[in-house]
Amino acid sequence: MAEVSGKVMSAREAVHRFVRDGDELVIGNYTVGSCAELVYEIARQRKKGFTLYSQSGIFDVEVLVAGGCVDRLVTTYVMRSGGKKGGSAVERALNAGTLQIEDYTNFEYNARLVAGMHGFSFMPVLEGVMVTDIFRRRGFMGENKFRVIQCPYTGKDKLTVPAAAPDVCVIHVQRADAEGNAQYWGAMGSVAAAALASKRIIVSCEEIVDHEIIQSSPHLTIIPAYRVNAVVEVPWGAHPTEVLGYYNVDTFMYNSLFTAAAATASGLAAWMEEWVYGCPDRAHYIDHYIARFGSETLDELRAKPFYSAPADYGAAFTSHWDRDGRERSMGVTLPELEKLLKDRGKVYG
Amino acid sequence: MGKPYTLDELLAIAVAREIHDYENVVLGVGVPMTAGALAKSLLAPHATLMMESGIVDIRPLLSLNNIADAHSARGFSYATDLFSAFTTTYRGFVDVCFLGVAQVDKYGNLNTTVIGDYEKPTMRLPGSGGAADFISYAKRTVLTMRGGTFVNKLDYFTSPGYLEGGDSRDKTGLFPIGSGPSALISTKGIFRFDATTKEMYLATIHPGVSLESVKKDIPWDLRVSPDLAQTERPTDEEIDFIRNFAPELSAGRELTVELRNAAIRKKAELRAGKNA
Repeated sequence: MAEVSGKVMSAREAVHRFVRDGDELVIGNYTVGSCAELVYEIARQRKKGFTLYSQSGIFDVEVLVAGGCVDRLVTTYVMRSGGKKGGSAVERALNAGTLQIEDYTNFEYNARLVAGMHGFSFMPVLEGVMVTDIFRRRGFMGENKFRVIQCPYTGKDKLTVPAAAPDVCVIHVQRADAEGNAQYWGAMGSVAAAALASKRIIVSCEEIVDHEIIQSSPHLTIIPAYRVNAVVEVPWGAHPTEVLGYYNVDTFMYNSLFTAAAATASGLAAWMEEWVYGCPDRAHYIDHYIARFGSETLDELRAKPFYSAPADYGAAFTSHWDRDGRERSMGVTLPELEKLLKDRGKVYG
Repeated sequence: MGKPYTLDELLAIAVAREIHDYENVVLGVGVPMTAGALAKSLLAPHATLMMESGIVDIRPLLSLNNIADAHSARGFSYATDLFSAFTTTYRGFVDVCFLGVAQVDKYGNLNTTVIGDYEKPTMRLPGSGGAADFISYAKRTVLTMRGGTFVNKLDYFTSPGYLEGGDSRDKTGLFPIGSGPSALISTKGIFRFDATTKEMYLATIHPGVSLESVKKDIPWDLRVSPDLAQTERPTDEEIDFIRNFAPELSAGRELTVELRNAAIRKKAELRAGKNA
């Protein structure tokens, strides 16, 4: 069981305590709202030797690969930062022989985490892929990338993938309470499965909220507190990507600065020097951003509210005892009930 | 004569016309998202637009950045997850999906993983993402092509079209009978697949494009429909929709980047002026 208190900490402490060299590390977010600050902190602490799981690699995978943190990448989609003409950190690392890759489809990758999340050792996946190179080409997983079994009920060939249970998941959500109940909404993707399949979970959030807020909206909770090791409050924690209800993607930082820089190794190194290594934490990063581009550039990204209609978790009553102190169905008061128990010889001691 | 249009606008509009009313539609990255929004607004108002991120029944208000973009709409109807989005497809509830093409062969088999060697790539492309599973199980798949290439042999076989043609796809027993690519739409024309041989042929050619220009991209002897017609012109209403909804698609990548950079420089100059 995870600790029940003292989980609120800085990104620095969370990464220092719960991310280890050589871990199987999974980036929990999918395509949007990536856990930028946790990823940058991992790079800043020069962690290395990861087998990195990423459902859909964007700048986050580029930063970790360029930062020399990753030996092996399990993925379905790799961002090509530099467009058709430019390269990407992943492409350069493959050519340099410093990175091994295992390609799955979105569903297969997610199925591995769903198996891990539920404690199964494998998961059936969609068998059409058996005719493709995704099935035929094996990377570092070799024979265990896929296994084909016979369905005991239909006799048909079933394609399967092995469960994944990463050592640690880093994930950014909209809000959490201090105990770690993490609430996320929007594109659900594979976010919950990535976290719940993992042994340790670091949650960063835009804001820490009262436990009562969580209690009134449990349908938004994707990770229960008892699974969470660390809670890190980081406003703008996903910048330059977006967080629904908080801010939009920063196309200027992402499309103009990052992707232009990431087309070459030296460009990406310079960008990381400024935005990853050059900023000790997210507060400094935001200060640096504002100093360079003005606070209005950030303000333009802030979301305007579009609130979900509240779900009514109300009930007819919250006590068995009515206003007169009588049990609602039996019609007796508590002293009357206790007397009856005594009279009928039902109580001991 | 109607309004003049760009090739990307024509492509998006042709893609939108592949969506029929009341269909369940899975949108892929890029052009198909704008095409889906156009279809939903003008052509197929009862279509259900969904994305593999689990966003189901979305009515985008402006162009979507990616397949998990909930910022470009005010809510949506059903927030399921990626796992269920694919099992929904597997169970046959998806009528049409859209996939971009990097390399395609004459039977609509696709490569979106790598150009050159897998381990030491000339160009590492994104990979399958959802492509291989969607083209396997959607009832039909529309391929969109902007800058991809036609090849005799794929460098890497990511996603199954009609395999070796004829009934080879159906014969594997792995796919729903009759599924597979129904069209490939490029900036030059619309290709479809022969009902028997499953070989790609040119069905319509976009206005102003020569047959020679289509053929020079294709390394095999391309079949051409005996009654080759011109692709129907976009209407003014369709063009106006695209320009309002996705001005960056109308502008094209090069002009968009140029204008964005100019706007950023202008803003920086203004700020420098204010601070001076």
